[in-house]
Amino acid sequence: MRQTMIKSLFTSVAFAIVGVSSVSAQTTAIMNGEVHTAAGPVIENGDVIITNGRITQVGANLSAPAGATVIDAEGKVVTPGLFAPLSAIGLVEISLDDEANDAGPQRGEGFALGAALDAVDAYNPSSILIPINRAGGVTRATSAPQAGDSMFGGRAAVIDMSGRVNSVTKRNAAQILVMGYSGASRAGDTRMGAWALLREYLDEARSYANNPNDYVRRPRDARFAVSDLRALGPVLAGEQPLVVSINGAKDIRNLIRLKNRYGLSVIIAGGSEAWREARALAAADIPVIIDPLFNLPAQFEDLGATLENAARLEAAGVKISFFNHPGFGAHNLRLITQQAGNAVAHGLSYEAAIEAITVNPAEMFGLDDQLGTIEAGKIADVVVWEGDPLELNTQPEAVFINGQQQDLGNRQQMLGDRYRDLSRGELPHAYRGGE
Amino acid sequence: MQKIGWMALAAFLLSACAQDDAAQSGGATDADSSESVANGTTNETSDGPVRPSQDPFPSTYEAYPSGAVLVTNATVLTGAGERIDGGSVLMRDGKIAAVGADIEVPDGASVVDANGRWVTPGIIDIHSHLGNYPSPSTNSTSDGNEATAPSTAQVWTEHSVWPQDAGFTRALAGGVTALQILPGSANLFGGRSVVLKNVPSRTTQGMKFPGAPYGMKMACGENPKRVYGDRGGPGTRMGNFAGYRENWIAAQGYKKKWDDYWADYDAWVDGDQEEDAPDAPTQDLKLETLAGVLNGEIRVNMHCYRADEMAFVLDMAEEFDYQVTTFHHAIEAYKVADLLAEKGVCAAIWADWWGFKLEAYDTVPQNAALVHAQDGGCTITHSDHDLGIQRLNQETAKAVDAGRRAGIDISPEVAISWITSNPAKAMGILDQTGTLEPGKMADLVVWNGNPFSVYAKAEQVYIDGALMYDRDDPTRSPRMDFELGQLGNDDFTGGAGQ
Repeated sequence: MRQTMIKSLFTSVAFAIVGVSSVSAQTTAIMNGEVHTAAGPVIENGDVIITNGRITQVGANLSAPAGATVIDAEGKVVTPGLFAPLSAIGLVEISLDDEANDAGPQRGEGFALGAALDAVDAYNPSSILIPINRAGGVTRATSAPQAGDSMFGGRAAVIDMSGRVNSVTKRNAAQILVMGYSGASRAGDTRMGAWALLREYLDEARSYANNPNDYVRRPRDARFAVSDLRALGPVLAGEQPLVVSINGAKDIRNLIRLKNRYGLSVIIAGGSEAWREARALAAADIPVIIDPLFNLPAQFEDLGATLENAARLEAAGVKISFFNHPGFGAHNLRLITQQAGNAVAHGLSYEAAIEAITVNPAEMFGLDDQLGTIEAGKIADVVVWEGDPLELNTQPEAVFINGQQQDLGNRQQMLGDRYRDLSRGELPHAYRGGE
Repeated sequence: MQKIGWMALAAFLLSACAQDDAAQSGGATDADSSESVANGTTNETSDGPVRPSQDPFPSTYEAYPSGAVLVTNATVLTGAGERIDGGSVLMRDGKIAAVGADIEVPDGASVVDANGRWVTPGIIDIHSHLGNYPSPSTNSTSDGNEATAPSTAQVWTEHSVWPQDAGFTRALAGGVTALQILPGSANLFGGRSVVLKNVPSRTTQGMKFPGAPYGMKMACGENPKRVYGDRGGPGTRMGNFAGYRENWIAAQGYKKKWDDYWADYDAWVDGDQEEDAPDAPTQDLKLETLAGVLNGEIRVNMHCYRADEMAFVLDMAEEFDYQVTTFHHAIEAYKVADLLAEKGVCAAIWADWWGFKLEAYDTVPQNAALVHAQDGGCTITHSDHDLGIQRLNQETAKAVDAGRRAGIDISPEVAISWITSNPAKAMGILDQTGTLEPGKMADLVVWNGNPFSVYAKAEQVYIDGALMYDRDDPTRSPRMDFELGQLGNDDFTGGAGQ
């Protein structure tokens, strides 16, 4: 009885939005939505025109161009595509399966390289995690290697979530570094070791950068691989941001000094006590990627962890975004909206929350001239939501990446369809729902 | 090396039980733990034999003082399937005294005008590691997995629970009033659970839920074979099942020994008593717990992801005549939701955690709803996590919404049962808590709005009628010893709402 009802209801819900799927028109007009541009005030009854992959017009009372595919967004919310600022997407399929986990070198095996590793070498655009998170409105992500025995994880890439073979937006978008206790555990098990070793790396990399030919000819410290030092060149030049996993206030103060001394571009990841140094971080122009749900003294460096971290950082003028702590996460990047909603519940302004998951990551990785907002000229990563995107009962109705409307189907949806009806049927379940 | 193991764990794993800390921490011995205790023999006294104590560490929990409180003008979800708009709840003497649309203000009662806010029963988490994997997370405090032998049914996790875990306070701010602490999932038989009231105490006994039955943790699949694969086994799923069955057979023998003993003893009492009274068997802590399951006194909480394994476990439960109360994690419950309903087994589920291991690869967002949709289906939202436990309402909201998209409409008054009455039923405390019904413990949460919103916050939490948390009153926000005096910053409270 209950089963029958489920089946018939499903049919009406699931196919309600089929009318707008798999369109590849050159021009799309999203009409009459509540448009959060992440670049200024909300446009009530706003229209967004997408032509050849770019946003060409944004405003109220626009006309849909002739021949455009029109999406009626009345009662809907339109935002820039979500941008997950730090993840292992495309590197991890199954965390505890060695073969299906390329997130970083295994700890304790003495693998020599760190900074030289490049996410692009392992990034798998066919991962099933990509369509699952795309269906939740994630259109871009930073795919970042995790540190093994080296304190450097390697080079992260910004990718789009289209799953296309060529979906790398920006190679060498950042270098990954672990400090705090995580760094200390790779440097004699003391934070002193971590800071000393980091300075050695930077000095050695500078020495290499000053004269690579000379450096490789003279006797050198075997602890530093030349490929690692070479990879750190753009970091030392301040051209490539260094994403530093760090939590405690004292470590953060050290990091600010180090940034100034070496002229680095720095992004903090973790930052459970970042609020304690909020003004200094704002002054040093250091953005912070936090887990806004993290509020426990898991380690002594997290004693100040609080749900109000996001709100306090906003109040001080620090740019923020959200990720999963600890580790970068890959499977549930779409929950970045729930993280943002909780941050709002604990004092973050709503528009700052939207910016934290759209334009702020674009800015962190030097892509804000192309991505992150709904403005004319930008690449058209746009999501049309059923309602408040931060709520728990809203999902995207339409997702655009590079102006292309995306398929929102995925393996989870197929599995759910396959087992909706558990009756024996004419053939086993293995014959169902694969079409 | 140990430290490295821990860092890898912190960076890599989500939680104690889902992923199994013990597998990483190592250092355990291969030796089986002691199977029996020397002093277990029952002693004869003039009043007859002394039975082994069934409750050697009794609860010393006592409710804190409370006056009569009438919460009015609320949207009340009773946890028993009802929604009362503009409703009231009267708490008196620590109990729910009345629930309804029109309740007179009794003499001396204080009135809390909820002003349209929502009221639910206290939230209950059936799967937590607060206390046995507490904050701070260090080798010193890692007490959740006795990963020294595949069967450690003899351990009682209450002896690992540190009542100073700050996580209890954060859970309180999330509306949690009762919770079951489970041993981890390294072992086929992990040991006994303990059910707590979420009221801070100097001792763990002071938190123990009065009269709650014990549970026992079991684990399917990857974790036991990973932990013991190179330590003498089991190293396969077939090894897991052989291990379960061998232990159940031993437990049957143990149970029979005691049943026979009591039959002989009763016969001796009824007879001429010329011979000495029969000798009691030796008490065996491990088999005592397993026999407790066979006697129906101890509830089986089984960590199990895959549908095919759940089906085998259900047959095994028939073979040895015991009841599986709840499958925990149950990523693939939706594939055998009909079997679970038929056997009366609950599925305790996350809204959307997945993919951390192959047996967790096949989740679907509507898993919980599909279990619920079966006639007799029993869904529970669980946390297994110190952050997740703070927002079981939100996890439920996501699962309910996924159900709606699959054509399964679940109203708020029904959904609330996933985190109140259903876990209470599975934990054997539904007669005492889990719904807002007269006579039950006054465990109640006042929310700032619809609890299934991302913006929902518990504003007041009453436990046995006493106001144990008030978001606006720092004097009603517990702070654990560990956090006291830390940081020395006025902005830092280390309290429940931190």
